[in-house]
Amino acid sequence: MTLSPADALPVQTKNRLRQAMAQDRFVQFLLLSLAGLVALAVAGLLLTPYDPTEADFLDRLAPPSLSHWFGTDQLGRDIATRILYGSGWSIGLALIVSTAGAVIGTIVGLMAGYVGRWADPLLMRVTDSFFAFPELIAAIAISGIIGPSTNNMVIALVSVSWMKFARLTRTLTLSIGHKDFVVQARLNRLPQWLILWRHILPNLRMSILVLWTSSWSKTILAISGLSFLGFGVQPPQAEWGAMLLDGKPYMQTAPHLMIFPGLAILVTVLAINLTGDQLRDRLQDPT
Amino acid sequence: MNGRNRTSALTGIHGILIKRLGALAVVLFGVSVLTFSLYYLSPGDKALAIAHARYMGEGNAPPEVVQAIREKYALNEPFLTQFKLWVSGYLKGDFGQSLVSGVPVWEIFLPNLRETLALACSALLIGLPLAFFLSLVSLWRPGSLYDRIAVAVASIGAAVPSYWLGLMLILVFAAWLNWLPSFGTGTPAHLILPAATLAVWITASQTRLFRSFLLEASSSPFLEALRLRGVGEKEIFWRHILRHAMVPAITMIGLDLAYLLEGAVIVEVIFARGGIGSLLVGSVMSRDYPIVLFLVMFSAFSYVAINSLIEALQDCLDPRKSLPAPSLRAQRPITTASATDSPDNTTGDR
Repeated sequence: MTLSPADALPVQTKNRLRQAMAQDRFVQFLLLSLAGLVALAVAGLLLTPYDPTEADFLDRLAPPSLSHWFGTDQLGRDIATRILYGSGWSIGLALIVSTAGAVIGTIVGLMAGYVGRWADPLLMRVTDSFFAFPELIAAIAISGIIGPSTNNMVIALVSVSWMKFARLTRTLTLSIGHKDFVVQARLNRLPQWLILWRHILPNLRMSILVLWTSSWSKTILAISGLSFLGFGVQPPQAEWGAMLLDGKPYMQTAPHLMIFPGLAILVTVLAINLTGDQLRDRLQDPT
Repeated sequence: MNGRNRTSALTGIHGILIKRLGALAVVLFGVSVLTFSLYYLSPGDKALAIAHARYMGEGNAPPEVVQAIREKYALNEPFLTQFKLWVSGYLKGDFGQSLVSGVPVWEIFLPNLRETLALACSALLIGLPLAFFLSLVSLWRPGSLYDRIAVAVASIGAAVPSYWLGLMLILVFAAWLNWLPSFGTGTPAHLILPAATLAVWITASQTRLFRSFLLEASSSPFLEALRLRGVGEKEIFWRHILRHAMVPAITMIGLDLAYLLEGAVIVEVIFARGGIGSLLVGSVMSRDYPIVLFLVMFSAFSYVAINSLIEALQDCLDPRKSLPAPSLRAQRPITTASATDSPDNTTGDR
């Protein structure tokens, strides 16, 4: 046996990604604009003269102007600054939640799909049971009952976000587990973890990445939704949903309190969704 | 002979049914355990919480009362005993009483269910035809400007947070234009804005899915054979493309039905409507455990029930699918499994 199993491995995913990025103007544009958004947020945070939580009662509910681009809120805080700080909460927390969900779900799915036997039905029934709870309802019940706070919201959201990854990983693992290169690796007596890590996981990477982007954007909506309902990040913090909650009483007199945080959510989620769509179209279709 | 018949019967239609029902029972049991552990593991003294909920504003409830509550609800018993008590109540149709008002949960639930159903049905009545129309427009000339507009509408609709959209609609139609009432329930006019908010979400998710199902169906090779046989384009569309696209579409519509409940939560809170969603939020805030547990169980059970119904329906619609399935949902293609609730995830895979 001179042929190592790694030779048979179709690890073109990386090249495919690079190729797609090099060729595709739209993907480039999307990635650039995502990077641009991040750069803008960082630059804004460094350059803004305002503090996101410090009140300025002389300048309450001011409409958008040159000194306050998006106006000020009921405590005189600059809304643009708060949106920039809020991006850390909304986007960053969502990133943590969806990544944790992806890791847990992938491990469960790999176990179910590869170990098989008793593990598969057991793990899948557990996954099904978790899946039965509509995400938002479960998240409200969990974080409401343990007590509304940022930490509890993260726990609640992670516990309702991993199942999709488990299902996807299991199905893909089942189909890849019978491919020649895996069988050969097994015949070569490679340790199980090495087979999973080197031969199966690399082939799942792209599908998981696509699901992960959609989970990320969904989680952004969930986090700001929960915060808006009062079950997530609590008001003095500049989270986008919490800002909407703050601005709700002033909706008629000062609509800018609500318009801009909402637009921030819309633009972010749209950008992530589009990137995910493009990734999927380009990476999953060829074959 | 007899024995052989029996084994083959297990793999036949009855076998599938038995296996599915078995899996269903396991999942429902898992759902109950999870729901109850949420309550069991919740922090704080439950007896004290119940006392507070019942005698709101009286400050510290006397210790005898707390002790009596603890004994009445068996709060000191181990998990298994409490769980058995709870499940046997549910099996007998006794869902407990609200801790705050003492009214049976079921009586509080029914009128709220009616409100939510009215909202969900009107949202579906607006959203589904719109989604159908948009996907037809985009199928008419794939890649054209119309197609792109339809896709853009769907993408933006999927990204817009419903709580924000609802508030913006109130701002425009109720506050500025003064055409429609903003909050509350009562007249049909009160239903328009909430239903529209929810419909945007339905339209967004269904348009993209329906579009991709239609596109896929219209590129199937057998259509060429039909065309060569001289079958008219109209007949091809109505009898073949649409029928093919219907099978996956029904799955997704069914899944959306289950998730409508979720969308209803936020819409009901924003528009200050009655309904299951606002009931859930209110009971979570006042720690009215029996209502919370019941609503969580209800949403999970209805999701499972709808899911099983869809599977049965699919089997009837699609003769290719009536093969033995290894697990409850394994027969659905990978991509649908990954897209059970993120509709933007299915367009064009496979």
